[in-house]
Amino acid sequence: MMDAGRHPNITLLSYSEVENVSGYVGNFDVQIRKRARSVKEDLCTGCGTCQEKCPSKVIDMAYEAGMGKRKAIYRPFSQAIPNIPVIDRDNCLWFTKGRCRVCAKVCPTGAIDYDQQDEIVTVKVGAIVVATGFAMWDPKQLPQYSYGESPNILTGLQFERLTNASGPTLGEILTAEGKKPERVAVIHCVGSRDENAHLYCSRFCCMYSLKHAHQVRDKTGAEVYDFYMDMRAFGKAYEEFYERIQREGVLFVRGRGAEVEVLADGKLRVKGEDANLGRPVFVDVDLVILATAIEPHADVGKVASIFGLGRTPDGWFAEAHPKLRPVETSTAGVFLAGSCQGPRDVPDTVAHAGAAALEVVRLFNQGEVTISPTVAVVDQAKCVGCGECIISCPYTAIHRNADGKAQINAALCHGCGTCVATCPSGAITALHFTDQEIVAQIDALMAALV
Amino acid sequence: MEEPRIGVYICECGVNIAATVDVPAVVEMAAGLPNVVIARQHKYTCSEPGQQMIQDDIRELGLNRVVVASCTPRMHEPTFQRALQGAGLNPYYFEMANIREHVSWVIHDKPAATEKAKRLVRSAVARVAFHEPLEPRREAVEQAALVVGGGIAGIQAALSIADSGYRVYLVEREPSIGGRMAQLDKTFPTLDCST
Repeated sequence: MMDAGRHPNITLLSYSEVENVSGYVGNFDVQIRKRARSVKEDLCTGCGTCQEKCPSKVIDMAYEAGMGKRKAIYRPFSQAIPNIPVIDRDNCLWFTKGRCRVCAKVCPTGAIDYDQQDEIVTVKVGAIVVATGFAMWDPKQLPQYSYGESPNILTGLQFERLTNASGPTLGEILTAEGKKPERVAVIHCVGSRDENAHLYCSRFCCMYSLKHAHQVRDKTGAEVYDFYMDMRAFGKAYEEFYERIQREGVLFVRGRGAEVEVLADGKLRVKGEDANLGRPVFVDVDLVILATAIEPHADVGKVASIFGLGRTPDGWFAEAHPKLRPVETSTAGVFLAGSCQGPRDVPDTVAHAGAAALEVVRLFNQGEVTISPTVAVVDQAKCVGCGECIISCPYTAIHRNADGKAQINAALCHGCGTCVATCPSGAITALHFTDQEIVAQIDALMAALV
Repeated sequence: MEEPRIGVYICECGVNIAATVDVPAVVEMAAGLPNVVIARQHKYTCSEPGQQMIQDDIRELGLNRVVVASCTPRMHEPTFQRALQGAGLNPYYFEMANIREHVSWVIHDKPAATEKAKRLVRSAVARVAFHEPLEPRREAVEQAALVVGGGIAGIQAALSIADSGYRVYLVEREPSIGGRMAQLDKTFPTLDCST
């Protein structure tokens, strides 16, 4: 992380989003919205005084997954890169109520800028790596887990914050009442491998659940009940890790943890079926950790359309070939890295990202790209300049030339043929897909066989 | 336009096609089509000997158009286009009929599959006669990359590209890079720290 922040060849644009991509492999024009941090990056020294003095506390749904609080002016975490805070304008007293300005008063370098505006940055690139990751599925969608009805029912990510030394309890595993738990349940496949949520396996939850079981045993000595359907310990040294956790005394129950009930005294009753014993199991515990599924981000469709990406039926971005072309996409020059293509654990993500980087470097080393000649061309003599094709073109490849007639930029044209079908004058031909070729093909297809 | 001299190659794809399509019957039909100079079958047309067979026919029989009926063009169109190019023929004088994904893998009835294969081959032959030579264009590549997302994947990709000497624009939606990884405590299976 630090290396990426310091690398002389990396320009970091944080708190920013890509708004538009045009062009083609080797020659993309990218518009990026750099959102206003309300802090001047060149003046801020990252001293943290503003954050310390800010009077507005907000529950941190992002970094702390709802387990802790942050201020309205904040760095998400202490090692943040860049080490520059942002003002959360929805919760800042100055932006919401027109008073306070404490951060501006205490900032020793005058870096606070309440009037800062979003900025549009335009860059030209030859290749794009999409590494947008995943979102956590919300377990409230399956009410049988009672998520949200007790503060002691956590998602895996929330438990990460609980057990993390930088988290709200400084790494102590405690219930919401501040007590050490005596019994803890870990439930696998919550929202994964479930026809009522996601059919796919989220792939890394079995392993992090084992790690959570280990951390609970290690830090609290509590009894841990681990409800699993199948233990997917498929990676290098994973099965051995599973063996180790079994030796640490975690009690494994084979069968889906089907339901969590919040009892009158606040205890949590986990109900499941032990498939090995063939009978129902009930365990009363103090803390439940749900290994919740991961899923594509809510705005995955918008991102797909910006970068010209396809998606598989489960919603993830589609690779060009499921085995042979795992990082390429249907758009030349746009590559995928990590879990935006499907659930991946850390080692697989690192390998996938390395493969994506190699594709980019390969393209750059070649120095030039070959572009298919199967594009559309306009017969200038037939074109009447009505402009219908310009409207119909999904790649903005057509413009009006000095004569007022349609002109196709072959570099942008994908040869899709939409303009050919649209042109009322029959002035456009798709090379390699001429009317003559297509009609001959259809005639031969339909004629009786002799 | 010079007189089309078409070679047609029906692939057995091991048993992928041959078990469901009567390949010799398709070859026989193709041999009788207008402008077809030669029609053959091969166990694996995409193999080195399969491509060699096409290249030899181009040279020896003076073929100027080629049709291969086999798998999806997404798989091997570039393979056969390169074979044409290797024998001195423009790669756009090529047409492919998909008789695997569109026929043998989806139709179980052999006579029906064979009829559809024949029709697809016949239409590819009709189409290829009108093909014109085309030349791909070459364009310079802008030597800078955009990486979208500053989690493990984005950081790893950005560092590898940057270390190779190229400019990288790393865009992250959140105020800091780090992504999910920065939230985690120890990671499996080594229990080492994550950041």
